[in-house]
Amino acid sequence: MNARVSSRLISSGSRSLILAAVYIFLFAPIIIVMATSFDYGERAYVIFPPERFTFDAYLNIPEYIENGIYLSIGVGISAALGASLIGIPAALGIVRSDIPGKSLIMTLFRIPLQIPGVVMGLAFLQAYYAIGAATGWYANGTYIGLVIAHIFAATPFVIGAVVPVLQRFQPTLEEAAQTLGASRMSTFRKITLPLISPGVFAGSLYAFMISFGDVPIAIFLSKPGTSTFPVEVFFALEQEFDTTILAASTLVVIFSLIVLLIIQRFSGLDVFVKTR
Amino acid sequence: MSGIKTRWELILIPPLLLTMVLLVASQFIFIKGSFHKDLGYGDLSTTYELVNYLRAFSDPYYLNVLLLSINVSATATVLTMVCAVPVAYIIARMTSRWAMLFLALVVVAQFVTIAIKVLGLIVLFSPDGIINRLFLFLGLIEETFTILGTFAGVITGLMYYSLGFAVLLIYSVILTIPRSLEEAAQIHGAGRFNVYRRIIMPLAAPGTIICSLMVFNISIGGFASTALIGAGKILTLPVIVQRSVIVNYNYGMGATLAVILLTSVILINLFSVWMVHRFRQGKTLTI
Repeated sequence: MNARVSSRLISSGSRSLILAAVYIFLFAPIIIVMATSFDYGERAYVIFPPERFTFDAYLNIPEYIENGIYLSIGVGISAALGASLIGIPAALGIVRSDIPGKSLIMTLFRIPLQIPGVVMGLAFLQAYYAIGAATGWYANGTYIGLVIAHIFAATPFVIGAVVPVLQRFQPTLEEAAQTLGASRMSTFRKITLPLISPGVFAGSLYAFMISFGDVPIAIFLSKPGTSTFPVEVFFALEQEFDTTILAASTLVVIFSLIVLLIIQRFSGLDVFVKTR
Repeated sequence: MSGIKTRWELILIPPLLLTMVLLVASQFIFIKGSFHKDLGYGDLSTTYELVNYLRAFSDPYYLNVLLLSINVSATATVLTMVCAVPVAYIIARMTSRWAMLFLALVVVAQFVTIAIKVLGLIVLFSPDGIINRLFLFLGLIEETFTILGTFAGVITGLMYYSLGFAVLLIYSVILTIPRSLEEAAQIHGAGRFNVYRRIIMPLAAPGTIICSLMVFNISIGGFASTALIGAGKILTLPVIVQRSVIVNYNYGMGATLAVILLTSVILINLFSVWMVHRFRQGKTLTI
């Protein structure tokens, strides 16, 4: 009886085949980048399978690529901090207040998610030109200019991570703390913040990765010569290819994996997968 | 008690204001710019005119870009969904331990910047690459092929944005369909095909349609992979927007095309919101 019922919609063989095909498709480019990064010679192209195994490429990563990685990390951290500073109070306000039109406010906060990256990049570039023409200070090509655009793009991810966490716990704990004489500030610090910290943590790291991986916004706002890492990869592929970019990319993949593991360890992967 | 009640709505004001300022400041200026004619060398006319818009919808070059963008995004959406739905279904029907592992792998793949994935794709399909060598060895091809500048290559690139996203989203849709429904149907004699047609399809349809619209939006806005794999031959809206501005300094035309892109994305979104409301009202789809 049970055996017949469990004859599933997709047979076990096809299931494995479908999964294998799609996962190979998803991971092949990443694995090939990592595998070929150990093959380094006087070539401007890549061959696979690699001819030799060496760490030379890692030792020869040019300074501009190295700086690109540092810039990406710096911009990512600043953008994550900025997005959290906007996103956390926004989430608190949305969940806790009882003002009308909450869904409209939520929609407003989510607008940046809908704007294609290229449009966002162009829009900020034009805004910086206009501000520059009026004040004499041009934000395009500056660190802060890129950070502001990335904050705008990443804030919805913080809000999206914090709102569900806030909805899960009742404000009675805070009320109890305040009844017992805690000030508003210490209630927030000692009760609210620790309770929502998994969401805040996951959200801000998510925001970091949105900034860290971005190409289209940064391509409009970077100054030639000092671009973020993904933009450097973009230019390397468009113009002159240097095989050390494979080694740098491998390091970035490992770095991304570590960030993801940290999120998983402290908050789970709920930010990415809605299981409920 | 009410004396110490926190005024949460006040906390909402600064983030709301900041978001509004960033939104209005950035979007208003470029939309305004789209009504100025390009005078060359980055200069814009000071008068407002519709010349850019007229050109975008009458010049065969731009019309081709619009049609190609829709074609590319629609194809990428169909292929993404064809891959994502079975995978999401299979994962949703696994034991939760395995499901979490496969979902985590999808998240890992999503987490790596698109620039690195495109780099990998280009290496994979290079003339000396593993795919060309393998296909040559197997006798599937007679001479090496490239994905650069091809429609298929661009579609492949776009799927690296959307496939993981679609799997994660459809997974949560399938999860809402109790497995007991499938089993009940099978006990009552329904074959695989009928279970699929009568149970899964109608119940998953709303989520699947909304997910498709989102994938379409991701695809039509996709820039990095299309620009690199398209290699100047497959020119979609985002690629042309970037070229107009960064390469040709045609800020007016670039802004116009960006407005067209933004408008189409917003329209698709509104349509999707409208669909959600329709489904919530209990009007199920009859397929």
